[in-house]
Amino acid sequence: MNRSLWWKIILIIAVLVGFAAAVVPTKNDPEPIRRGLDLKGGTHLVMRVNVGDALLLEADQGMESLKNQAKANSLPIPTTRRINPSTFIATPPAGISAGQYETIAKDYLPTFDMSVTPEGAMQFKLKGPAASSIKRDTIDHSVETIRNRVDALGVTEPIIAPESGNRIVIQLPGVDDPARVKDIIKTTAQLQFRIVEGTPGPDTKTTLASVSDSMKNDVDILPGTREDQLGRVAGTEFYAVRKTIPVTGTDLKNARVQKGRLGEPNVGFSLTPGGAKKFGELTGNNVGRRLAIVLDNKVVSAPTINSRIDDQGVIEGSFTTQQAADLALVLRSGSLPASLTTLEERTVGPSLGRDSIHQGVLASLIGFIALVLAMLLFYKGAGVNAVLALLLNLVIILGMLAIFKATLTLPGIAGIILTLGMAVDSNVLVFERIREELREGKSVRASIENGFSRAFGTIIDTHMTTIISALFLFQFGTGPIKGFAVTLLIGLSASVFTAFFVSRVIFDLWYNPERRPKEISI
Amino acid sequence: MQIFVNTKYDFVKYRFWAVAFSLVWILIGAAFYLKEGVNWGIDFAGGASIVLKFQNQVPLNKLRAELTDASIQQYGKPEENSVLIRLPEQHKETDYAGQIVAKLHNDLNPEGAGKFDLNFQGRDGLTELLMQDDPDHKGTGPDARAYYAQIAESVVAKRSELGLFTNMQQVVSTPGVDTGIASVLNQKVHLGSFNVLNQETVGPQVGKELQQKAIWAVILSTLAMGVYLWLRFDLMFGVAAVVCIVHDVSVSLAFLGMIHGEFSLDIVAALLLIVGYSINDTVVTYDRVRENRRRTKTRATLEEQLNLAMNQTLSRTILTSGSVVIVLIALILFGGKVIHEFAWILLIGVIAGTYSTVTIVPAVAIAWNRIGGRKHDIAGPAARRVESSNPPPSAPRAETPRKRKAV
Repeated sequence: MNRSLWWKIILIIAVLVGFAAAVVPTKNDPEPIRRGLDLKGGTHLVMRVNVGDALLLEADQGMESLKNQAKANSLPIPTTRRINPSTFIATPPAGISAGQYETIAKDYLPTFDMSVTPEGAMQFKLKGPAASSIKRDTIDHSVETIRNRVDALGVTEPIIAPESGNRIVIQLPGVDDPARVKDIIKTTAQLQFRIVEGTPGPDTKTTLASVSDSMKNDVDILPGTREDQLGRVAGTEFYAVRKTIPVTGTDLKNARVQKGRLGEPNVGFSLTPGGAKKFGELTGNNVGRRLAIVLDNKVVSAPTINSRIDDQGVIEGSFTTQQAADLALVLRSGSLPASLTTLEERTVGPSLGRDSIHQGVLASLIGFIALVLAMLLFYKGAGVNAVLALLLNLVIILGMLAIFKATLTLPGIAGIILTLGMAVDSNVLVFERIREELREGKSVRASIENGFSRAFGTIIDTHMTTIISALFLFQFGTGPIKGFAVTLLIGLSASVFTAFFVSRVIFDLWYNPERRPKEISI
Repeated sequence: MQIFVNTKYDFVKYRFWAVAFSLVWILIGAAFYLKEGVNWGIDFAGGASIVLKFQNQVPLNKLRAELTDASIQQYGKPEENSVLIRLPEQHKETDYAGQIVAKLHNDLNPEGAGKFDLNFQGRDGLTELLMQDDPDHKGTGPDARAYYAQIAESVVAKRSELGLFTNMQQVVSTPGVDTGIASVLNQKVHLGSFNVLNQETVGPQVGKELQQKAIWAVILSTLAMGVYLWLRFDLMFGVAAVVCIVHDVSVSLAFLGMIHGEFSLDIVAALLLIVGYSINDTVVTYDRVRENRRRTKTRATLEEQLNLAMNQTLSRTILTSGSVVIVLIALILFGGKVIHEFAWILLIGVIAGTYSTVTIVPAVAIAWNRIGGRKHDIAGPAARRVESSNPPPSAPRAETPRKRKAV
């Protein structure tokens, strides 16, 4: 045997061993080929981040700071109204020119373009770059927050990735209670502590009437649950709460579930040093009043402040254990900067995934055995060669999937066996050519030589066409279909190697130059 | 075993019959679409799709009363007690499937109110439940959580294995469940009537985008194929290949219409694969035509060249398509319902691809050649000598490109 043949054999064995090793499960990596959501069970979500919320907040803050600075500079306070999420109009009292506010606008509202309307009012419009940077930050922050929450849930190997169009794709393998997980992800968890004015009433009008006239413009009316004497939920009531929000969820240091006096679950929290200072002031100045704990614009509870509280407190409400645990979780992981809308959800229960994997593997095995039998039937000795090439191809596909951490989906399993069915084509092309050469009376040696060289161009062309379409498939597909495209691409590339290189080496090994075989089993 | 050795079938002769057959087939498919409309799957139409597995027989009447606008059908075999519920699009982005599932859960399990439904809720909820009662006195620390989480995990794994729990005995016999835990479970757990196998919601926006993406992917990949083959071979063949692909895709789509199958993402995947794969036979045949042209010394019309190449490659065509067909039949018979239609469409596409190689492609190529002045015929050297006294205008020109290609 010559030296180059030796090198080729060593190369093939190295490829075989290398890829086979990648597939073998180890202690650190018990599942070298990751199963996709359709096989493992789990949830695939596409959510839209409503970035408008964040722009709205920026405009609201702009209005606030304009008023505050006017006050600080002893200027009359203008009335403000928002005309769209990123634009607001501030009208100074009659007789005051808008020009007087220009310095404030320049110093304190740098992200806004100010212009004066014909009526003498000021229009503040969020600048383009500022708006896009707010959008970007909002998405990044949302991804971060969702990741914190998903991690806190203990989901292994989640995928949380931003996409174009203000979207976030979330894949949660192995999640078996999608409703709960979705709730946890989607809760904005904007926590606020606000002082209650007047008395809560059964509708917004009654509530507003109970607020003193001087405060009427400085309160928001928010819904909350009404509880009966025993603490059970008994309908909705409305609270008037002050517009100023001195302490928010960002001031929290930690939150955890704990048990109340009667063993009922509630959420205890502690505050950061800065938060504790503000909370101390808020409670110290308002002893005897009620403090509304507002979560996502709903009043969760409104206890009366008995004394100054500095660095910790309790959120009580009619929670189940799980609700309390989930609330603590979302508070710990921070609030979302904007609300989320579900655009797409696909959840596969674990039992369906089990069925799918069984059926997929069974069908593939049967298909593979049928392929092997067909090859042996049609090509006898050379069929063994084709089967060896197929087996090596299978090892390469599985190894590649493991090395690139690609996920195996049900269409992916179908893709593997289908790829093997297609890969046979390369062997068939070569073998048919060898047969033709033999029929023309060429020697065994020359027939093998010509068979391989003549089939080569054809093999490249047939592979290229299928690879082109697999690339389109990859570009187009989501989740499972991408998995299919990946197995197809790997398998087809591998089949050029196995059917052309490996199969040739096997023929060369079989062909003993000293014996000069006159016949070949093909 | 050798098949189709030295055959001399005159494929070209039957091409008009084949074209007529394909047209009739495609027209029948089109008629089905006109009559019944396209059965858009949830991926494209939007809406919600839910698969539920029940403990006992599916309460069809109850479901129909609950969900008046839904289409409800059996999923899998009758003894699997499973049902597929499809709900139309809501014209707004909501968590539709989740809401429906929650509603069904409330309405179909009135006796389970306030209890923990172990056929509906998951591992984490069960962990919390056990943590709260703490039957094994593990405290409230992370160790306790890990301990109960492990028990919850094995209970839920048992449920996946069974499909769903039908009695508490199955729950408490799970390894790791001791008497303390069993008594908590017996007290607090309720086994609801169904388990959710699959739930999907596709909002209107995503559906529309996917529709456009799918159409573009199929069109662009077909064109890409045509361009590749034009560059590798010639324009005639590029055009014939594109017609062939359009034929194969149309035949497959016609079949989908006839069985009123659902047009889903998987079907688009199958179509894209047909675009790339069914052309292979054609490439192999034309490759042979080109090779023969380089070697042939005798005069041959394009018709003769095509017939020769098709006969030479016939056994390869049958063997290769046969291999893929074997695999696809295995997938159809044993692959389960999720990939059933996908495999069927591929099967039809692969068969159509083989058939169009020996019928449609020659038909297009021959028509192109005749209209274009028979530039693709070979006037062998002997013929040229005879004709040199009265040369046809095309003969010398046909020689030049052939030489160039042979390089």
